[in-house]
Amino acid sequence: MSTTATKKLEDQKLKEAYFTASQGQLIWTRFKGNKTAMIAAWILILLILAGFFAPFLSPYDPTIAGRDTEYENGAPQIPKFWDENGFSARPFIYSVERERSIKTNFRWVTKINRDERRYVHYFVKDWQYSYLKIDWNLPGKMFDIDFRGFTFDTHLFGTDEGKIHLFGTDQSGKDIYSRTLHAIYTSLAVGALGVFISFVLALIIGGVAGYFGGLVDSILQMITDAVRTIPAIPLFMAMAAFIPDEWSSETRFFFISIVLGLVGWPTLARRIRTHLLTERSQEYVLAAELSGASPSHIIRRHLLPSFTSYIIVDLMISFPYMVRTETALSFVGLGLKDPVNSLGALMQNVSKADVLLNYQWYFIPVLFFIAFVLAFVFVGDGLRDAADPYSGTKK
Amino acid sequence: MGKFFQFTMMRAAMSVFTLLMVSLIVFTLMELVPGNCAERYLAFKNTQGATITVKDIEAEERRLGLDRPFLIRWGSWIGSVTFKGEFGDSCILRLNINQLLSDKFWISLIICLSALVAAYAIAIPIGIISASSTSALANNSLRFISYLGLALPNFLLALIIMLLSTVWFGDSMTGLFSKEFRDAAWSWARFQDFISRAWLPIFILGWSATAFALQTVRALMLDENGKLYVTAARARGLYGRKLLWRYPARHALGPVINSLGFDLNRIFNELPVVALVLVLTEAGALLIEALARSNDQQLAGAIIFLLTASIVFVNFVTDIMLALMDPRIRKGLIG
Repeated sequence: MSTTATKKLEDQKLKEAYFTASQGQLIWTRFKGNKTAMIAAWILILLILAGFFAPFLSPYDPTIAGRDTEYENGAPQIPKFWDENGFSARPFIYSVERERSIKTNFRWVTKINRDERRYVHYFVKDWQYSYLKIDWNLPGKMFDIDFRGFTFDTHLFGTDEGKIHLFGTDQSGKDIYSRTLHAIYTSLAVGALGVFISFVLALIIGGVAGYFGGLVDSILQMITDAVRTIPAIPLFMAMAAFIPDEWSSETRFFFISIVLGLVGWPTLARRIRTHLLTERSQEYVLAAELSGASPSHIIRRHLLPSFTSYIIVDLMISFPYMVRTETALSFVGLGLKDPVNSLGALMQNVSKADVLLNYQWYFIPVLFFIAFVLAFVFVGDGLRDAADPYSGTKK
Repeated sequence: MGKFFQFTMMRAAMSVFTLLMVSLIVFTLMELVPGNCAERYLAFKNTQGATITVKDIEAEERRLGLDRPFLIRWGSWIGSVTFKGEFGDSCILRLNINQLLSDKFWISLIICLSALVAAYAIAIPIGIISASSTSALANNSLRFISYLGLALPNFLLALIIMLLSTVWFGDSMTGLFSKEFRDAAWSWARFQDFISRAWLPIFILGWSATAFALQTVRALMLDENGKLYVTAARARGLYGRKLLWRYPARHALGPVINSLGFDLNRIFNELPVVALVLVLTEAGALLIEALARSNDQQLAGAIIFLLTASIVFVNFVTDIMLALMDPRIRKGLIG
């Protein structure tokens, strides 16, 4: 066969693949073409994995239990492979000693001892952590759930003696690296729960308004608009103030997520409603109606699948706003608190002048937060462009 | 003209309705806070050594009108707010809310509105120019700045600026007034002092808003630039700034004006946190105080209601402005 013929055949195949591709495949092809979005997606995946495997990746307990009393406000320790004393295949850090005397003006001053090495070991056994551990204390004895889950105590790395702090420690000696990883997980979880709640609400309210139209739509729209005009963060603050001090950190966590969800639904509900209003008059809906399908069946089985991709994109875009709001709330001190580590709670420490002058490594979680939000925004934008069938043809 | 009057009245009625809805939501939330004013007052007396019985609480509730049904209390609250402009007393601070808020609310509103104006003053020209520029470097850096507007929250920016200025200038730039003017009466000198310090919060509050507005203006302009009427105008020999301002910019600015109210909403969202970082003692910081320290539901309700009312008002004004600016609507209304 000549080369032109093979080329033609290949072209034909490509075309066929294009015309028979499902919407998901088309979106994926377009998304792959967007380089920035792909890089952002990889960063995002890495961050999500880091958050999910946080206990395994972090050598120390992020709560007060894992504090290093020997190394408070300690600088980051970066593993090395060689120094003036020779090369080592196993990365090492130096041991530190601290001193407080009249010479140091009675402040703790840490000194690095370059002659004494601490070697980094992999897969060390340290503090215990568990996945899928459920221990809910719901009202009523019957509903109490106590599931042990799976407990592990292996961590990716640790040192043979002393401790290693990649990002340094805070004023009580907690490892900032471990805290950051756990914070990513918490922020992800709060955001996911908030997005989920607002999504369900938006689906119900927007779905009903868009499907029935007319008076129902007008009334629901007025309510939606009223909720949309109230500035969310002051309102969050008013609601967060209901939290009694004695609530456990887990309860606070759920409450904050619910509040985030309750105030976040109007924008999404409006979009769902607008879409439904235009789709409602299409022939396939009429056909389903004539076949005797119930309204809820038509909404669920016919209308919603017609714009799943838009919903996914919207959810992606609203995610960073949720995380941002949570961060702002925790930063002010009305959101999550110790021992739950969220990115906002970590940033609380940053607001002191002392920190910028002496302990700059407190800012490392801030970088993670920025990377996290940027990655989400770029992926969301890339998905939006990919899901828009006209994005390629637009001038 | 009659049609225009009708349109304005319709919009005003809708705004009033929205405000009523908002006040109902806010009032309900205030009611949800555990404990009411009667209990608070008597709890205070309790600390002074008096013994309190359930009867005392009930009597106090009757005196304050707290035994009436929920909807009637809401009606009287909203009535006194609309007709007398009176928010009642804060039962924790034991002060009149109007006295507490008046100055602080106006100052914060002025700061937020200036931030909004500054944001658009920057975003509109740059957005319009960048949409017609083909320089990849300029476009990409602009996109990056817009995204950074989202990723670098205002409070972080405030922190960074504040700490840097502490290091370099030895002044943390916090507060809205310098020491000698903090409690002084309004005067020319105090006003100057205010201006010399207010630019920082205005800049920080406007930061995200500018980034967002830049992105919106640019996207809208890109949409319009590709349209046939622009090509037609170009074919007639128009070019450069004249072409941009006369044709696509006019179309693109409609949706921008429409979104002013929501931008103000966004700025109000940033206000409390930025206010906390910069130690501004206006409404934003007061809100945090009202909520975090004391669960002061009356004060919090009043602040949220006032903020929302200003957003609703801005929405109303932009609706009218849009109707006057867009010839398609204006012709239909005025003729």
